[in-house]
Amino acid sequence: MIALTEAFAGAMIPAGAEHLRAQVKSFLETSLPDRPAHMRARTWSAYDAQFSRSLAERGWVGLTLPTRYGGAGLDAFSRFVLVEELLIAGAPVAAHWIGDRQSGPLILRYGTEAQRQFYLPRICRGEIFFCIGMSEPNAGSDLASVRTKAARTANGWLLNGSKIWTTYAHKSHYMLALVRTSGSVDDRQQGLSQFVIDLTLPGISINPIVDLCGDDHFSEVFFEDVRLDAAALVGEEGQGWTQANAELAFERSGPERIYSSLILLDLWTQRVRRDSSDSDKVRLGRLIARLAVLREMSLAITGRLARGESPLFEAALLKDLGTEFEQNIPQEIANALAADPDAESDDELLRTLAYLMQISPAFSLRGGTREILRGMIARGLGLR
Amino acid sequence: MTAMDNVLSDGFVRLLREISSPAAVRRAEDDGDAADILREVEDSGFMDALVPESKQGSGLALADVVPLFLAAGDHLLPIPFAETMVARALIAGADARAPRGNTIVFWPATPSGRLRSQLNPLGAQSSLALVQRGTAFELFPIQCGDRRADSFGMASARPDLDALPLLSFELPGVDLLQWAAAITAVTMAGAMERMLGMSLTHVNGRKQFGRTLGKFQAIQQQLSIFAERVVSAQVAARIGLTGSNFILDGGRVAIAKSIANESARSCVSIAHAVHGAIGISEAHDLQLYTRRLARLQVSFGSEAYWQRFAGELRLGSRETTSVDFVRALLDHPVAYQ
Repeated sequence: MIALTEAFAGAMIPAGAEHLRAQVKSFLETSLPDRPAHMRARTWSAYDAQFSRSLAERGWVGLTLPTRYGGAGLDAFSRFVLVEELLIAGAPVAAHWIGDRQSGPLILRYGTEAQRQFYLPRICRGEIFFCIGMSEPNAGSDLASVRTKAARTANGWLLNGSKIWTTYAHKSHYMLALVRTSGSVDDRQQGLSQFVIDLTLPGISINPIVDLCGDDHFSEVFFEDVRLDAAALVGEEGQGWTQANAELAFERSGPERIYSSLILLDLWTQRVRRDSSDSDKVRLGRLIARLAVLREMSLAITGRLARGESPLFEAALLKDLGTEFEQNIPQEIANALAADPDAESDDELLRTLAYLMQISPAFSLRGGTREILRGMIARGLGLR
Repeated sequence: MTAMDNVLSDGFVRLLREISSPAAVRRAEDDGDAADILREVEDSGFMDALVPESKQGSGLALADVVPLFLAAGDHLLPIPFAETMVARALIAGADARAPRGNTIVFWPATPSGRLRSQLNPLGAQSSLALVQRGTAFELFPIQCGDRRADSFGMASARPDLDALPLLSFELPGVDLLQWAAAITAVTMAGAMERMLGMSLTHVNGRKQFGRTLGKFQAIQQQLSIFAERVVSAQVAARIGLTGSNFILDGGRVAIAKSIANESARSCVSIAHAVHGAIGISEAHDLQLYTRRLARLQVSFGSEAYWQRFAGELRLGSRETTSVDFVRALLDHPVAYQ
């Protein structure tokens, strides 16, 4: 069994990383004026290419990528500070989010020198945006049941199949996709490879899917005889599963797995400041206590990522707890707001609440479902 | 956790395995007699760990001894070990000297002397109580003949406030209720980790429907939640036990005790669920843990008290966002001492 005490030993944000905070705060104050709370609540689901480029101009996209590829060459703690500030301000960061968090670091780690030079500087300049092609129709959580197939041709690959629930595929330039390059569905994790797919290539069609709140952040992508260059392969053929998993600790342990409902919490806190019942105070304190612990845990994992470790068990544990917290907030606040039916209502607070009450079930689906994560934790406990 | 922590706590854990077995814990709970345990722990010197070296202690920092507190909780050490360690440091901080060979319970009190807790402190083998009324600290003897088992089946202690205090001193800024709650929280976190270990052992050994319990997905998911709660409680307990000059931070303590209580509710429920009927029996050791955790949940403020405390702190702060509030609370820990 994993030694739990040691796994989450405390970590402090180094002064150098903390230094970034004031700059980000002051930039966000001027660049996001008067954005209503129900819009801010969409944070990393809200797409604004221009805003992403304005961050890139300040060197805040690809923060952890080396300077020789156009990045800022800063560590995981600096990225923690930046992301934390973007999320609590409700900044629309979806456009560059995936490239910054996953595709960029993955190309850096597994890509060829030519691939790094081609993609990374453009990611850092906010010129190209990425999506990740993992889920497939009818596969659900069974990510290894990949059917999309790339067959070798004389000078590259021929791609056929489809991906679904791909975040912002319809507004991205490239997809980093996990596809089968040998064997069949029965081979599971074996025979999978990763490709960077230029989404303007002939044979690709993308349909946005409207979600239950009316937003269109995810989509369905079809590949019909799409011709890929040999250079589209990232890393080693057949190592796609391992490569995709290596980045999961980054995807699951950041503040975005804790902070998705904080715009609502902060808006409700303003109301409670004016007039609070005893139960409001208890509720607020309960949420603050959970937030504090989760943030400490996220920082502890950030410390381990900064040391080059890949704490997958810990990241799964944090994501499960963090998303539970994100889902608690709208539930608690819904209950608190309607505790007094005679109290005056607040339209913007209700709009923000309505959005989060409806969308928050997705928090424990995206990036690995609750049940899959708990299976991983059970494995870490030696039960599987 | 540093390598030094490991060396320190490994030695202590070896001692605890010997002296604080479930059988020893049962004896101490029944009749309040833990004289042998006290002697061994006193001889080990750990209870002077927080006393400065200039005053014949080990001069360790609070963060260094958190693993010892966790280990004491893990083994249900039936004497007020952490309390005595902190009390000796507090007394040394006031330039007084704590009597040796005694353990000390905490008695944070109202001006009239009534304990600020629904339950008296656990009192096996304790002979002294550190009492705080306002800013005044006094060391009182425990009332003789009052070590009988309470409603949770454990020996508790109350000071004889009519006796002459052995020591009187002032410690401006020190809040004994916060110390009591923070120590309760870390003790609970240690007990929860042991219960997780017991539960894992149980589900890996017991077979039903032709396979071990641990192979059932329903059980695996429950134990994953268990592990999450144990980690939360431990991280929260560390948050609580941070401060300088023996002054803890009320906001941090509020986090520690409220998360310890919330976590204990889940952990106790899951531990009993996976153990089944055997866990309800007196003979099985699980009840020692769940009973202790039940008692500690009611001691020195429940989550409602501490959550309200944190909520009021948040409403009184000028920070615009909850993250800024949490950062102000947590990102500037000061080294203890």
